[in-house]
Amino acid sequence: MRKHNKIAAGTLLLGAAMAGMMLSGCGSEADGKTQIRMLQYKPEATDFFDALEEKFNETHDDIELTIDSPNDAMTILKTQLIREDYPDIVGIGGDVNYSNFLDAELFMDISDYEGLSTIKQSYLDTAKALEFVPVEGNYALPYMANAAGVLYNRDLFEEHGWTIPTTWDEFIALCDEIQAAGIQPLYFGFRDAWTCLAPWNAIAVDLADSDICAQVNRGEATFTEAYDQVADRIKALLDYSQPDPAAYSYNDACTAFARGESAMYVIGSYAVPQIQSVNPEINIDSFVFPASNNAEENILNSGNDLQFSVMKTCENKEAAYEVLDFLLEDENVQAYLDDQNAVPCKEGDFTLAPMLDGMKTYIEEGKTADYQDHYYPAEMAVDAMIQTYLLDTSENAKETFLTRFDTDWTRYNRDVIRKVEEYYGNQSETE
Amino acid sequence: MKNDRKMTFMLITIPVVVLFFCFNTLPLIQGFIYSFTNFKGYGSYDWVGLRNYMDLFTDSRVGGSYLFTIKYAVVCTILVNVISLILALGLNSKIKGKSVLRGIYFIPNVLGALVVSYIFSFFFTYILPVVGQTLGIEALSSSILSRESTAWIGIVIVGVWQSVAMNTIIYISGLQTVPEDVYEAGSIDGATGWKKFKSLTFPLIMPFFTINMVLCMKNFLMVFDQIMALTKGGPSQSTESISYLIYNNGMAGGQFGFQSANAFVFFIVIVTVSVLQMRFMNKREEQL
Amino acid sequence: MSTKSEQVKVKANVNWPITILLIIGCVTIFFPLYMAVIIAFKQPSEMTNDIMGALSFPSVWSFDNFREAMEVTDFWHSLGNSLLITLLAVGISILLHSIAGFAIGRGKEHGKMYNFIYLYIVSGMFVPFAILMMPLVKQTASMGIANVAGVILLYVVFYMPMNLLLYTGYLKNIPIALEEAARVDGASTWKTYWSILFPIMRPMHATVAVLTALGTWNDVMTPLVIMSGTGVNTLPLAQLNFQTQFGTNYNLAFASYLLALIPILLFYLICQKQIINGVVNGAVK
Repeated sequence: MRKHNKIAAGTLLLGAAMAGMMLSGCGSEADGKTQIRMLQYKPEATDFFDALEEKFNETHDDIELTIDSPNDAMTILKTQLIREDYPDIVGIGGDVNYSNFLDAELFMDISDYEGLSTIKQSYLDTAKALEFVPVEGNYALPYMANAAGVLYNRDLFEEHGWTIPTTWDEFIALCDEIQAAGIQPLYFGFRDAWTCLAPWNAIAVDLADSDICAQVNRGEATFTEAYDQVADRIKALLDYSQPDPAAYSYNDACTAFARGESAMYVIGSYAVPQIQSVNPEINIDSFVFPASNNAEENILNSGNDLQFSVMKTCENKEAAYEVLDFLLEDENVQAYLDDQNAVPCKEGDFTLAPMLDGMKTYIEEGKTADYQDHYYPAEMAVDAMIQTYLLDTSENAKETFLTRFDTDWTRYNRDVIRKVEEYYGNQSETE
Repeated sequence: MKNDRKMTFMLITIPVVVLFFCFNTLPLIQGFIYSFTNFKGYGSYDWVGLRNYMDLFTDSRVGGSYLFTIKYAVVCTILVNVISLILALGLNSKIKGKSVLRGIYFIPNVLGALVVSYIFSFFFTYILPVVGQTLGIEALSSSILSRESTAWIGIVIVGVWQSVAMNTIIYISGLQTVPEDVYEAGSIDGATGWKKFKSLTFPLIMPFFTINMVLCMKNFLMVFDQIMALTKGGPSQSTESISYLIYNNGMAGGQFGFQSANAFVFFIVIVTVSVLQMRFMNKREEQL
Repeated sequence: MSTKSEQVKVKANVNWPITILLIIGCVTIFFPLYMAVIIAFKQPSEMTNDIMGALSFPSVWSFDNFREAMEVTDFWHSLGNSLLITLLAVGISILLHSIAGFAIGRGKEHGKMYNFIYLYIVSGMFVPFAILMMPLVKQTASMGIANVAGVILLYVVFYMPMNLLLYTGYLKNIPIALEEAARVDGASTWKTYWSILFPIMRPMHATVAVLTALGTWNDVMTPLVIMSGTGVNTLPLAQLNFQTQFGTNYNLAFASYLLALIPILLFYLICQKQIINGVVNGAVK
């Protein structure tokens, strides 16, 4: 009996503690204001969007904006879609998820939104290129682009007098030189499979056609041919990485680079805030990954890192447009640039972060192409396939990898390929 | 009066059955229906007939996850039962501080698998390699979670560490049902050590062995938390369990329809394994 | 479980080698916990790349990491949610499943149908959550219970097969004469149950409480899929959701892990006997 009393007493205590907590929960509901709920997928920009939300609500009496910036936002967004619990605006990347959502007719045509005219045409084209089959209208407002290539530790480079390579051979020579100086040339965080895509994209953008995936979907090319050299060169990088790169995560790699443990880091500009959070003093610059031996072929990897779409279910289009207007105000764009070291999609005179110095000319001249992985279906998990390939030490690793790439591609893209076939079939009929 | 009893039973049973149907059977049927579509989880979808089921057998990723899950479950079940049986024999013998020791060995069972896995993840990544390097053991000098050949061992270690507790306790209660005089009779016959265990103790605790095998196997086949915290299915998708794959690709990957088919096959596998195990064990018990 | 004669024997003839081996074996239990405590108290700067860096005592025992972890993971809210979910799930399970066990178990005397219902519900034990997961996400959302209430409801349903099995099993050993006596006195079936049978089944309530509580308290998957993105966390879910916030600050992360482990460890220390007995009863039945 005594024992039961003990349990009962414990339960009562816990119950009391709980009741207290429940009372302190529950927020207040809105008072006649138009509610706009936005979900944006960049966890590293959480602070920025929190501040922005506050600023917006201070200056707007009729609209109440809430911005969610959850971790693992894509899973959460998809779960919300499964629940049919739609936000009004989503801020996502220009990648295959966007293509899928668009294909599922979740987005509203925002062609009548005036702010679109302030966006550089090349970014609107990038968004257009993501459509499985051409769709009438505009569904995305490109906001920020990122640039991926090689980040390097400027201080280390100046100290040793190393120069920026413009061809593959030069890059390898540089790696040898850095290694000879007793410094780790590269650091990878391959435990997080997605980081394998950073060097992969940087190399593929130079060596493969930018519309290779569309070509394959139309049955005009194979990945085995297109990615042959890409596969060779990404593996060559392993000679210059820290031992056992698959043991370390993205966080580990950022930390190591921030502490000066490696001279270079093949990753996108999106990693800079993370690196700076470890070492605010670090002096970083970047250069375009020179995967080709023809310097002219080397182009900058740049995609729509953050673009906004209004959901079809949004009931207050005007209010949503007002939020987009606010986001596009020069002051707010600049604030984002300063915070996230991104590249603006909006026309205008903005100050770019110093770590993009090495890429500036490419951005200005428009020598850019979208990330190849923005066209890969998420469930195919190309990142894990590349990770497998990089860890595979057998003789025919490359053949296994590329063959699998081609066979898996046709399977996972079956519905898309069918759509493309139907579309072009119809086209040729009508022509 | 008899009618009152009948009525009451009815009034209790109906809502309970409805509740169970709504949140267990209904979603099961829904999942089954979705398994014939190419539903992404949102937007429109088409009926694709048996395509998902056919794909299941050719999909190397699904195949890999089944191989991994079964390998994991079998290895863990064997290890857990061997270790916990030894431990139970120890804890049931004439030792000092029996209840304290039993209490200590049960701790892992009450801790959450996710948090435990995070703690072990740190151990595997940062401590074990240093130990390996210091002692000059090649196999341990890099993180065991980063290699395809060894990552699953890390997950096994965590799984076993946690499950041994539960099984040990069950074996102990089994051993306590063995009457003292059986042993005394045995010792007169000259049965000692291993022989005594094999011919006397083990047959008597056979029912407990059955329980443990079935419980273990089922739990290990559904492994999820450890994967989530230790490897996220990597490296190279070598440690993707079936549950993890269904969650990851079904919820986040837009394969709602396909993974529903996978889930349904998984359901059949679990039922088959459990039923077979119980049949087999029952037969053994009868024979003994 | 331990009888007097057993204790006498232990005193008479202690097997020291085994005792010592078992004490040494405890290291495998305590080492990970020790490591967690040490790291949780350290500062990132103390984490050098050798064994001592991770395992030596911290230079200062400071609770800063814990304070920060509480802030970062919104500890009190997560704890509150975990408690709410576990307590309600356990409470409802005891009330509902015991009476269901009564109706279905005793109902067998009134015909085959109850036997069928019994098998129908108990066989639910084989349905893995993975197959229910995706449809349940849709279903709970459309019913407006993609929240704590939904999670509680799901637990009540998920634990129904096991608990029904336990309660009906226990009832079999309670003579029906008790109920008949009450009926002769004019008590209704409903009243008979609450006044006589419910109290009698107390040992089984303890077992059900322990098993349901351990399962729900530590469960990650159900709240993960049902409540993700709603900003509401349970204690284990918070650990998962704040992985990126922890970054490489393992000290902060470990402080948070420890905070997540402490409630259940405390509960175990207080009710150790009941928990172990409950688990054994549940498994053996």
